[in-house]
Amino acid sequence: MSRLDLLDASNAPMTVQAYFAEGDPGPIIAALASVPEMLAPTLGFIGPALGAGAIGTRWKEFAILRTSALQGCSYCIHAHTAVSLDVGLTEAEVRGLRGEAPIEEAFPAPADRALLAWIDGLAGATGPVPNDVWDTARAHHSEHRLVEISITVGATMFLNRFATAFQLPTSDDTLARLDAQGMA
Amino acid sequence: MTPSGPIADAVAHGVMPGRVWLYSNYHCNLACSYCLTESSPRSERRELTADQMLAVAEQAKALGFTGLGVTGGEPFLLPWLPDAILAMAEQLPLVLLTNATLFSGDRLERATRLAHPDIALQISLDSHLSDVNDMARGDDNFAKVVEAVPLLRAAGVRVRIATTTAGPLESPFLQPLRELVASMGVPADDHLVRPIVRRGRADERGMGVRAEARDIPSELTISADGAFWGSFGPTVRNGRLDTDLLLTRTILPLEVPATALLGALQGLPPGQDARLGIR
Repeated sequence: MSRLDLLDASNAPMTVQAYFAEGDPGPIIAALASVPEMLAPTLGFIGPALGAGAIGTRWKEFAILRTSALQGCSYCIHAHTAVSLDVGLTEAEVRGLRGEAPIEEAFPAPADRALLAWIDGLAGATGPVPNDVWDTARAHHSEHRLVEISITVGATMFLNRFATAFQLPTSDDTLARLDAQGMA
Repeated sequence: MTPSGPIADAVAHGVMPGRVWLYSNYHCNLACSYCLTESSPRSERRELTADQMLAVAEQAKALGFTGLGVTGGEPFLLPWLPDAILAMAEQLPLVLLTNATLFSGDRLERATRLAHPDIALQISLDSHLSDVNDMARGDDNFAKVVEAVPLLRAAGVRVRIATTTAGPLESPFLQPLRELVASMGVPADDHLVRPIVRRGRADERGMGVRAEARDIPSELTISADGAFWGSFGPTVRNGRLDTDLLLTRTILPLEVPATALLGALQGLPPGQDARLGIR
Protein backbone atom coordinates (compact mmCIF):
# COMPACT_ATOMS: atom_id res chain seq x y z
CA MET A 1 0.00 0.00 0.00
CA SER A 2 1.52 3.26 -1.09
CA ARG A 3 2.08 5.97 1.46
CA LEU A 4 1.12 8.49 -1.21
CA ASP A 5 -2.25 9.34 -2.62
CA LEU A 6 -1.34 8.23 -6.14
CA LEU A 7 -3.02 10.34 -8.81
CA ASP A 8 -5.04 8.90 -11.65
CA ALA A 9 -6.60 10.31 -14.81
CA SER A 10 -9.46 11.88 -12.85
CA ASN A 11 -7.24 14.09 -10.72
CA ALA A 12 -3.98 14.31 -12.63
CA PRO A 13 -2.94 17.93 -13.13
CA MET A 14 -3.94 19.30 -16.50
CA THR A 15 -0.37 19.90 -17.62
CA VAL A 16 0.54 16.23 -17.17
CA GLN A 17 -2.71 14.60 -18.33
CA ALA A 18 -0.95 13.22 -21.40
CA TYR A 19 0.92 10.75 -19.20
CA PHE A 20 -2.42 9.27 -18.14
CA ALA A 21 -4.05 9.20 -21.57
CA GLU A 22 -3.20 5.55 -22.25
CA GLY A 23 -4.33 4.33 -18.84
CA ASP A 24 -2.42 3.74 -15.61
CA PRO A 25 1.10 5.10 -16.14
CA GLY A 26 2.45 3.25 -13.09
CA PRO A 27 3.08 4.40 -9.56
CA ILE A 28 6.27 6.37 -10.23
CA ILE A 29 4.59 8.73 -12.68
CA ALA A 30 1.42 8.78 -10.57
CA ALA A 31 3.53 9.90 -7.62
CA LEU A 32 5.67 12.43 -9.49
CA ALA A 33 2.52 14.00 -10.98
CA SER A 34 1.66 15.59 -7.65
CA VAL A 35 4.48 18.05 -8.39
CA PRO A 36 3.67 18.53 -12.05
CA GLU A 37 6.50 20.89 -12.89
CA MET A 38 8.97 18.19 -11.77
CA LEU A 39 7.48 15.33 -13.78
CA ALA A 40 8.82 16.05 -17.26
CA PRO A 41 12.31 17.09 -16.08
CA THR A 42 12.59 14.02 -13.84
CA LEU A 43 11.48 11.65 -16.58
CA GLY A 44 13.74 13.52 -18.94
CA PHE A 45 16.64 12.35 -16.79
CA ILE A 46 15.38 8.90 -15.83
CA GLY A 47 14.31 7.93 -19.34
CA PRO A 48 17.73 8.13 -21.02
CA ALA A 49 19.55 7.10 -17.85
CA LEU A 50 17.66 3.81 -17.70
CA GLY A 51 17.13 3.41 -21.45
CA ALA A 52 19.39 1.44 -23.76
CA GLY A 53 21.73 4.36 -24.42
CA ALA A 54 25.11 3.73 -25.97
CA ILE A 55 25.94 0.67 -23.88
CA GLY A 56 22.80 -1.36 -24.61
CA THR A 57 20.08 -2.92 -22.55
CA ARG A 58 22.07 -5.88 -21.17
CA TRP A 59 24.61 -3.80 -19.28
CA LYS A 60 21.98 -1.21 -18.38
CA GLU A 61 19.98 -3.93 -16.66
CA PHE A 62 23.14 -5.05 -14.86
CA ALA A 63 23.30 -1.58 -13.34
CA ILE A 64 19.58 -1.24 -12.59
CA LEU A 65 18.89 -4.66 -11.12
CA ARG A 66 22.18 -4.92 -9.23
CA THR A 67 21.78 -1.45 -7.74
CA SER A 68 18.18 -2.16 -6.78
CA ALA A 69 19.24 -5.36 -5.03
CA LEU A 70 22.03 -3.59 -3.16
CA GLN A 71 19.60 -0.86 -2.12
CA GLY A 72 16.90 -3.36 -1.14
CA CYS A 73 14.17 -1.85 -3.30
CA SER A 74 11.56 -4.56 -3.77
CA TYR A 75 9.55 -2.48 -6.25
CA CYS A 76 12.55 -1.99 -8.55
CA ILE A 77 13.79 -5.56 -8.09
CA HIS A 78 10.44 -6.93 -9.21
CA ALA A 79 10.07 -4.51 -12.11
CA HIS A 80 13.59 -5.03 -13.42
CA THR A 81 13.64 -8.76 -12.91
CA ALA A 82 10.88 -8.78 -15.50
CA VAL A 83 12.69 -6.31 -17.76
CA SER A 84 16.00 -8.17 -17.45
CA LEU A 85 14.39 -11.44 -18.49
CA ASP A 86 12.67 -9.64 -21.36
CA VAL A 87 15.94 -8.27 -22.73
CA GLY A 88 17.60 -11.67 -22.63
CA LEU A 89 19.34 -12.12 -19.31
CA THR A 90 19.16 -15.67 -18.06
CA GLU A 91 17.49 -16.67 -14.83
CA ALA A 92 20.95 -17.51 -13.45
CA GLU A 93 22.21 -14.02 -14.33
CA VAL A 94 19.17 -12.41 -12.76
CA ARG A 95 19.67 -14.43 -9.60
CA GLY A 96 23.32 -13.42 -9.57
CA LEU A 97 22.45 -9.73 -9.91
CA ARG A 98 19.87 -10.09 -7.14
CA GLY A 99 22.54 -11.56 -4.87
CA GLU A 100 20.92 -14.99 -4.75
CA ALA A 101 23.78 -16.79 -6.49
CA PRO A 102 27.55 -16.24 -6.70
CA ILE A 103 28.48 -13.53 -9.23
CA GLU A 104 31.48 -15.51 -10.48
CA GLU A 105 29.27 -18.41 -11.53
CA ALA A 106 26.61 -16.29 -13.16
CA PHE A 107 29.07 -14.02 -14.97
CA PRO A 108 32.21 -15.82 -16.14
CA ALA A 109 33.20 -13.04 -18.57
CA PRO A 110 35.86 -10.72 -17.04
CA ALA A 111 34.33 -7.63 -18.67
CA ASP A 112 30.96 -8.35 -17.03
CA ARG A 113 32.56 -8.92 -13.64
CA ALA A 114 34.64 -5.75 -13.90
CA LEU A 115 31.52 -3.75 -14.66
CA LEU A 116 29.63 -5.33 -11.77
CA ALA A 117 32.48 -4.57 -9.39
CA TRP A 118 32.27 -0.92 -10.49
CA ILE A 119 28.50 -0.94 -9.93
CA ASP A 120 28.99 -2.52 -6.50
CA GLY A 121 31.56 0.15 -5.68
CA LEU A 122 29.03 2.86 -6.45
CA ALA A 123 25.78 1.43 -5.13
CA GLY A 124 26.91 -0.94 -2.42
CA ALA A 125 29.33 1.22 -0.49
CA THR A 126 30.02 4.72 0.72
CA GLY A 127 33.22 6.71 0.31
CA PRO A 128 35.84 6.25 -2.41
CA VAL A 129 35.67 3.47 -4.96
CA PRO A 130 38.97 1.54 -4.60
CA ASN A 131 41.68 2.04 -7.21
CA ASP A 132 41.85 -1.63 -8.08
CA VAL A 133 38.14 -1.62 -8.92
CA TRP A 134 38.66 1.42 -11.16
CA ASP A 135 41.76 -0.03 -12.79
CA THR A 136 40.03 -3.31 -13.56
CA ALA A 137 36.98 -1.55 -14.89
CA ARG A 138 39.12 0.66 -17.15
CA ALA A 139 40.99 -2.36 -18.42
CA HIS A 140 37.74 -3.63 -19.94
CA HIS A 141 35.64 -0.51 -20.53
CA SER A 142 36.03 3.00 -21.91
CA GLU A 143 35.66 6.05 -19.73
CA HIS A 144 32.44 7.11 -21.42
CA ARG A 145 30.95 3.67 -20.85
CA LEU A 146 31.74 3.92 -17.14
CA VAL A 147 30.30 7.42 -17.04
CA GLU A 148 27.09 6.19 -18.62
CA ILE A 149 26.77 3.19 -16.31
CA SER A 150 27.41 5.48 -13.34
CA ILE A 151 24.60 7.78 -14.45
CA THR A 152 22.34 4.73 -14.60
CA VAL A 153 23.38 3.68 -11.11
CA GLY A 154 22.67 7.17 -9.78
CA ALA A 155 19.25 7.39 -11.42
CA THR A 156 18.42 3.93 -10.12
CA MET A 157 19.45 4.83 -6.58
CA PHE A 158 17.10 7.81 -6.74
CA LEU A 159 14.25 5.57 -7.88
CA ASN A 160 15.15 2.93 -5.29
CA ARG A 161 14.87 5.37 -2.43
CA PHE A 162 11.80 7.09 -3.91
CA ALA A 163 9.90 3.82 -4.43
CA THR A 164 10.99 2.37 -1.09
CA ALA A 165 10.31 5.46 0.99
CA PHE A 166 6.83 5.93 -0.46
CA GLN A 167 6.13 2.19 -0.49
CA LEU A 168 5.14 2.17 -4.15
CA PRO A 169 3.31 -1.05 -5.03
CA THR A 170 4.43 -3.58 -7.62
CA SER A 171 1.63 -4.27 -10.09
CA ASP A 172 -0.37 -7.46 -9.65
CA ASP A 173 0.45 -8.45 -13.22
CA THR A 174 4.20 -8.26 -12.62
CA LEU A 175 3.97 -10.19 -9.37
CA ALA A 176 1.82 -12.87 -10.99
CA ARG A 177 4.24 -13.24 -13.87
CA LEU A 178 7.30 -13.48 -11.64
CA ASP A 179 5.51 -15.90 -9.36
CA ALA A 180 4.68 -18.12 -12.34
CA GLN A 181 8.35 -18.08 -13.33
CA GLY A 182 9.53 -18.76 -9.80
CA MET A 183 11.26 -15.37 -9.75
CA ALA A 184 9.06 -13.39 -7.37
CA MET B 1 9.21 50.65 -17.24
CA THR B 2 6.68 48.77 -19.36
CA PRO B 3 6.89 45.02 -18.76
CA SER B 4 7.97 42.92 -21.70
CA GLY B 5 8.31 39.22 -22.38
CA PRO B 6 5.98 36.33 -23.20
CA ILE B 7 3.72 36.79 -20.17
CA ALA B 8 3.32 40.52 -20.75
CA ASP B 9 2.63 39.88 -24.43
CA ALA B 10 0.05 37.20 -23.61
CA VAL B 11 -1.74 39.54 -21.20
CA ALA B 12 -1.57 42.49 -23.58
CA HIS B 13 -3.04 40.43 -26.42
CA GLY B 14 -5.78 38.85 -24.32
CA VAL B 15 -4.28 35.37 -24.47
CA MET B 16 -3.85 35.28 -20.70
CA PRO B 17 -6.13 37.06 -18.23
CA GLY B 18 -4.49 39.98 -16.49
CA ARG B 19 -5.53 39.20 -12.93
CA VAL B 20 -3.61 37.02 -10.50
CA TRP B 21 -5.63 35.54 -7.64
CA LEU B 22 -4.24 34.68 -4.23
CA TYR B 23 -5.87 32.40 -1.68
CA SER B 24 -4.61 34.11 1.44
CA ASN B 25 -5.97 31.27 3.60
CA TYR B 26 -8.47 28.42 3.55
CA HIS B 27 -10.07 28.71 6.97
CA CYS B 28 -13.27 30.68 7.45
CA ASN B 29 -15.72 31.63 10.15
CA LEU B 30 -18.53 30.39 7.86
CA ALA B 31 -19.19 27.02 6.20
CA CYS B 32 -21.25 27.87 3.12
CA SER B 33 -23.13 25.05 1.43
CA TYR B 34 -21.52 25.63 -1.99
CA CYS B 35 -18.02 26.52 -0.81
CA LEU B 36 -15.36 25.53 -3.33
CA THR B 37 -12.71 24.92 -0.72
CA GLU B 38 -14.73 23.28 2.07
CA SER B 39 -13.70 26.24 4.18
CA SER B 40 -14.92 26.37 7.74
CA PRO B 41 -13.61 27.20 11.20
CA ARG B 42 -12.21 23.65 11.33
CA SER B 43 -10.31 23.82 8.03
CA GLU B 44 -6.65 22.97 8.12
CA ARG B 45 -4.67 26.21 8.50
CA ARG B 46 -3.04 26.60 5.10
CA GLU B 47 -2.16 30.20 4.33
CA LEU B 48 0.23 32.37 2.39
CA THR B 49 2.50 34.68 4.34
CA ALA B 50 2.36 38.44 3.97
CA ASP B 51 5.82 38.35 2.39
CA GLN B 52 4.69 35.78 -0.17
CA MET B 53 1.62 37.82 -1.05
CA LEU B 54 3.62 40.99 -1.52
CA ALA B 55 6.20 39.12 -3.61
CA VAL B 56 3.43 37.80 -5.84
CA ALA B 57 2.12 41.34 -6.27
CA GLU B 58 5.54 42.77 -7.10
CA GLN B 59 6.42 40.00 -9.51
CA ALA B 60 2.97 40.05 -11.12
CA LYS B 61 3.45 43.71 -11.96
CA ALA B 62 6.95 43.09 -13.31
CA LEU B 63 5.72 40.23 -15.50
CA GLY B 64 2.95 42.33 -17.02
CA PHE B 65 -0.15 41.26 -15.13
CA THR B 66 -2.65 44.05 -14.60
CA GLY B 67 -4.60 43.24 -11.46
CA LEU B 68 -4.82 41.19 -8.29
CA GLY B 69 -7.56 39.35 -6.43
CA VAL B 70 -7.41 38.03 -2.90
CA THR B 71 -9.80 35.41 -1.59
CA GLY B 72 -10.02 32.62 0.98
CA GLY B 73 -11.31 31.24 3.34
CA GLU B 74 -12.07 34.50 5.02
CA PRO B 75 -9.07 36.78 4.49
CA PHE B 76 -9.97 39.08 7.38
CA LEU B 77 -9.27 36.26 9.84
CA LEU B 78 -5.60 37.11 9.21
CA PRO B 79 -4.75 40.10 11.43
CA TRP B 80 -1.96 41.29 9.16
CA LEU B 81 -4.10 41.24 6.05
CA PRO B 82 -5.06 44.96 5.73
CA ASP B 83 -1.42 46.06 5.83
CA ALA B 84 -0.51 43.48 3.20
CA ILE B 85 -3.42 44.54 1.01
CA LEU B 86 -2.39 48.18 1.18
CA ALA B 87 1.16 47.26 0.18
CA MET B 88 -0.04 45.05 -2.66
CA ALA B 89 -2.32 47.75 -4.00
CA GLU B 90 0.73 49.95 -4.46
CA GLN B 91 1.72 47.46 -7.14
CA LEU B 92 -1.56 46.66 -8.92
CA PRO B 93 -5.31 47.31 -8.50
CA LEU B 94 -6.82 44.75 -6.19
CA VAL B 95 -10.18 43.20 -5.36
CA LEU B 96 -10.50 41.57 -1.94
CA LEU B 97 -13.25 39.02 -1.32
CA THR B 98 -14.81 38.86 2.12
CA ASN B 99 -17.99 37.64 3.74
CA ALA B 100 -18.14 40.93 5.70
CA THR B 101 -19.38 39.22 8.82
CA LEU B 102 -16.40 40.14 10.96
CA PHE B 103 -16.61 43.91 10.61
CA SER B 104 -17.10 45.10 14.14
CA GLY B 105 -14.75 46.81 16.55
CA ASP B 106 -11.08 46.60 15.55
CA ARG B 107 -11.80 44.60 12.41
CA LEU B 108 -14.14 47.29 11.10
CA GLU B 109 -11.48 49.90 11.78
CA ARG B 110 -8.90 47.80 9.93
CA ALA B 111 -11.27 47.29 7.01
CA THR B 112 -12.03 50.97 6.65
CA ARG B 113 -8.30 51.61 6.23
CA LEU B 114 -8.76 50.00 2.83
CA ALA B 115 -10.43 53.12 1.45
CA HIS B 116 -8.05 53.33 -1.49
CA PRO B 117 -8.66 54.08 -5.17
CA ASP B 118 -7.14 50.76 -6.24
CA ILE B 119 -8.89 48.50 -3.71
CA ALA B 120 -12.40 47.09 -3.86
CA LEU B 121 -14.01 44.81 -1.30
CA GLN B 122 -16.22 42.18 -2.89
CA ILE B 123 -18.85 40.97 -0.44
CA SER B 124 -21.05 37.94 -0.89
CA LEU B 125 -24.83 38.30 -0.70
CA ASP B 126 -27.01 35.67 -2.31
CA SER B 127 -30.60 36.74 -1.69
CA HIS B 128 -32.74 39.68 -0.63
CA LEU B 129 -34.45 37.25 1.75
CA SER B 130 -32.47 36.82 4.92
CA ASP B 131 -33.59 33.24 5.53
CA VAL B 132 -32.74 32.17 1.98
CA ASN B 133 -29.37 33.87 2.11
CA ASP B 134 -28.58 32.50 5.55
CA MET B 135 -29.58 28.96 4.61
CA ALA B 136 -26.56 28.79 2.32
CA ARG B 137 -24.21 31.13 4.15
CA GLY B 138 -24.98 30.75 7.83
CA ASP B 139 -26.99 32.32 10.60
CA ASP B 140 -27.14 36.13 10.72
CA ASN B 141 -25.07 36.47 7.55
CA PHE B 142 -27.65 38.65 5.83
CA ALA B 143 -27.99 41.04 8.75
CA LYS B 144 -24.25 41.45 9.15
CA VAL B 145 -23.73 42.15 5.46
CA VAL B 146 -26.45 44.75 5.12
CA GLU B 147 -25.09 46.41 8.23
CA ALA B 148 -21.47 46.36 7.07
CA VAL B 149 -21.88 47.59 3.51
CA PRO B 150 -23.14 51.10 4.38
CA LEU B 151 -20.49 51.46 7.08
CA LEU B 152 -17.72 50.56 4.65
CA ARG B 153 -19.08 52.81 1.93
CA ALA B 154 -19.43 55.69 4.39
CA ALA B 155 -15.75 55.24 5.20
CA GLY B 156 -14.89 55.56 1.51
CA VAL B 157 -14.32 51.87 0.80
CA ARG B 158 -15.37 50.72 -2.67
CA VAL B 159 -17.78 47.80 -2.26
CA ARG B 160 -18.81 45.25 -4.85
CA ILE B 161 -21.45 42.62 -4.24
CA ALA B 162 -21.14 39.06 -5.53
CA THR B 163 -24.18 36.84 -5.76
CA THR B 164 -23.79 33.13 -6.27
CA THR B 165 -26.94 31.46 -7.50
CA ALA B 166 -28.21 28.02 -8.35
CA GLY B 167 -30.76 29.57 -10.72
CA PRO B 168 -30.55 31.39 -14.05
CA LEU B 169 -28.20 34.37 -13.98
CA GLU B 170 -30.82 36.66 -15.47
CA SER B 171 -33.72 35.39 -13.37
CA PRO B 172 -36.41 37.96 -12.49
CA PHE B 173 -36.29 36.50 -8.99
CA LEU B 174 -32.98 38.33 -8.60
CA GLN B 175 -34.57 41.74 -9.21
CA PRO B 176 -35.41 42.40 -5.52
CA LEU B 177 -31.81 41.60 -4.67
CA ARG B 178 -30.56 43.97 -7.35
CA GLU B 179 -32.79 46.66 -5.82
CA LEU B 180 -31.46 45.92 -2.34
CA VAL B 181 -27.89 46.20 -3.61
CA ALA B 182 -28.69 49.49 -5.32
CA SER B 183 -30.31 50.77 -2.14
CA MET B 184 -27.02 50.23 -0.34
CA GLY B 185 -25.34 52.53 -2.88
CA VAL B 186 -23.56 49.84 -4.84
CA PRO B 187 -23.68 50.52 -8.60
CA ALA B 188 -25.16 47.85 -10.85
CA ASP B 189 -21.78 47.40 -12.53
CA ASP B 190 -20.37 46.41 -9.16
CA HIS B 191 -22.96 43.68 -8.60
CA LEU B 192 -21.65 40.38 -9.92
CA VAL B 193 -24.01 37.44 -10.43
CA ARG B 194 -22.45 34.06 -11.08
CA PRO B 195 -23.41 30.40 -10.97
CA ILE B 196 -22.47 27.85 -8.36
CA VAL B 197 -19.63 25.83 -9.83
CA ARG B 198 -19.86 22.12 -9.15
CA ARG B 199 -16.57 21.70 -7.39
CA GLY B 200 -15.63 21.35 -3.74
CA ARG B 201 -18.53 21.15 -1.30
CA ALA B 202 -20.99 22.03 -4.09
CA ASP B 203 -19.93 18.86 -5.91
CA GLU B 204 -20.42 16.76 -2.80
CA ARG B 205 -23.98 18.10 -2.62
CA GLY B 206 -24.72 17.89 -6.35
CA MET B 207 -25.07 21.66 -6.72
CA GLY B 208 -24.14 23.99 -9.55
CA VAL B 209 -22.85 23.85 -13.11
CA ARG B 210 -20.29 21.34 -14.25
CA ALA B 211 -17.23 23.01 -15.71
CA GLU B 212 -14.03 21.79 -17.29
CA ALA B 213 -10.78 23.70 -17.40
CA ARG B 214 -11.62 25.56 -20.57
CA ASP B 215 -14.90 26.73 -19.02
CA ILE B 216 -13.16 28.35 -16.08
CA PRO B 217 -11.50 31.74 -16.45
CA SER B 218 -7.83 30.95 -16.65
CA GLU B 219 -6.63 33.52 -14.14
CA LEU B 220 -3.40 32.44 -12.50
CA THR B 221 -4.25 31.50 -8.92
CA ILE B 222 -1.77 31.15 -6.10
CA SER B 223 -2.41 29.28 -2.86
CA ALA B 224 -0.42 27.60 -0.14
CA ASP B 225 -0.95 24.36 -2.08
CA GLY B 226 0.52 25.62 -5.35
CA ALA B 227 -0.48 27.51 -8.49
CA PHE B 228 -3.70 26.70 -10.31
CA TRP B 229 -5.64 27.37 -13.49
CA GLY B 230 -8.29 29.78 -12.27
CA SER B 231 -9.68 30.81 -8.93
CA PHE B 232 -11.97 27.78 -9.13
CA GLY B 233 -8.90 25.55 -9.26
CA PRO B 234 -7.70 24.90 -5.70
CA THR B 235 -10.93 23.28 -4.58
CA VAL B 236 -11.25 20.73 -1.81
CA ARG B 237 -13.57 17.73 -1.82
CA ASN B 238 -14.01 15.37 1.12
CA GLY B 239 -10.91 16.89 2.66
CA ARG B 240 -8.78 16.20 -0.38
CA LEU B 241 -7.33 18.91 -2.61
CA ASP B 242 -8.44 18.71 -6.25
CA THR B 243 -5.31 18.60 -8.38
CA ASP B 244 -6.85 18.50 -11.84
CA LEU B 245 -6.26 22.23 -12.33
CA LEU B 246 -2.91 22.29 -10.52
CA LEU B 247 -0.22 23.95 -12.63
CA THR B 248 2.83 23.90 -10.36
CA ARG B 249 3.64 23.47 -6.70
CA THR B 250 6.16 26.27 -7.17
CA ILE B 251 4.53 29.65 -6.52
CA LEU B 252 7.60 31.90 -6.48
CA PRO B 253 9.25 33.09 -8.60
CA LEU B 254 5.89 33.82 -10.18
CA GLU B 255 7.37 33.36 -13.63
CA VAL B 256 7.38 29.58 -13.06
CA PRO B 257 3.61 29.12 -12.66
CA ALA B 258 2.87 31.94 -15.12
CA THR B 259 4.90 30.17 -17.78
CA ALA B 260 3.14 26.89 -16.99
CA LEU B 261 -0.24 28.62 -17.35
CA LEU B 262 0.77 30.12 -20.68
CA GLY B 263 1.82 26.68 -21.90
CA ALA B 264 -1.48 25.18 -20.78
CA LEU B 265 -3.44 27.99 -22.44
CA GLN B 266 -1.71 27.36 -25.72
CA GLY B 267 -2.68 23.69 -25.52
CA LEU B 268 -6.41 24.00 -24.90
CA PRO B 269 -9.28 24.66 -27.32
CA PRO B 270 -11.71 27.52 -26.62
CA GLY B 271 -14.27 26.89 -23.91
CA GLN B 272 -17.76 27.95 -23.05
CA ASP B 273 -16.92 30.20 -20.11
CA ALA B 274 -18.89 33.10 -21.58
CA ARG B 275 -22.01 30.94 -21.86
CA LEU B 276 -21.73 29.57 -18.32
CA GLY B 277 -21.02 33.00 -16.85
CA ILE B 278 -18.36 31.70 -14.48
CA ARG B 279 -16.29 34.59 -13.15
